[in-house]
Amino acid sequence: MADDAESGLIARAQAGEHRAFAVLVRQYQDRVFRFILRLVGARDEAMDLTQETFMKAHQALPGWRPEAQFRTWLFRIAHNTALDVLRRRQRIEFVSFSDLPAGEEDHALPDPARQPDERLADSQSIELLERTLQELPAEHREILLLREVEDMSYTEIAATLGIAEGTVKSRIARARSAALAGYQRHTGEHRDE
Amino acid sequence: MNEQPAAMHAPDLPELSAYLDGELDAGGRQRIATHLAGCATCAAHLAELQALSAGFRALPDEKLGFDLAGVIEGRLAHLPRPPAVRRRDWWSGLPVAIGAAASIAAGVFMGSTLVAGSAATAPRMAALRVFDTMPPGNLCIGLESCYVKGSVK
Repeated sequence: MADDAESGLIARAQAGEHRAFAVLVRQYQDRVFRFILRLVGARDEAMDLTQETFMKAHQALPGWRPEAQFRTWLFRIAHNTALDVLRRRQRIEFVSFSDLPAGEEDHALPDPARQPDERLADSQSIELLERTLQELPAEHREILLLREVEDMSYTEIAATLGIAEGTVKSRIARARSAALAGYQRHTGEHRDE
Repeated sequence: MNEQPAAMHAPDLPELSAYLDGELDAGGRQRIATHLAGCATCAAHLAELQALSAGFRALPDEKLGFDLAGVIEGRLAHLPRPPAVRRRDWWSGLPVAIGAAASIAAGVFMGSTLVAGSAATAPRMAALRVFDTMPPGNLCIGLESCYVKGSVK
């Protein structure tokens, strides 16, 4: 459910007030861009798609109802927009560990003596995590982004992706498992599974 | 979460993952917490998930870097203005509904008079003579069947 100020802006935008819609764009542009960027992986393309998302949102605005949360409604449009591109592109990119620039491999390996949460917090690990994320299937990538980066609840994710909450629960678990396996493959750690 | 010995035990990932996200009900939370207290395998797995989650949350906060709102506003200004959404009151469609109902009633009435009235009586069989082998007005080729008994020759 949108808050009162946001609902007011949306109502004014629905009535054709472009200035009100611009305020909504300003409020959400970075979050939508960040989500799309990590889905498609290319900055220029993400910029175009972010713009396209807001144009589509403006077009669909007369159909928005106050019962829907504006953020999940907007992210659903962003998800569909990015997915169209990914489907067209049939993007399968594998970045192997050996593709890292010379000398970077050693830096990328975390210190095994440190605790897992400490290991993931340093900048090399963050970079590896970004790579791991990019290697995941889009379906896993987007659900992790919505949960971990956008901090959406399972209910909100279900509304954004148009799936059941039970599916959200199992898909997040599978995505996390795949991300852990991918990350550990990069770092040379092994899991006993 | 099953209660097998840790060596044979595979962590129930969806449950652990939902526990991490605070998406289990009170009973589920309690059950997992109790299990975690005695299961080193699941506790270690939960720690990995927590670390992964912390890593994702530490990803750089990417920004668009320019005011997209201005660009969008400019594009919208050049779009043809869509017709304003007009709320239709319930009575606005009343004349059309009344007209439609009257048309249907008139149709039903006219149909019923055709079926029930004299116009609907079945024609007598004699009238079917017009569909005889020889159309009316044609020259008879001499067959007996051309002539009805008692008719004027």
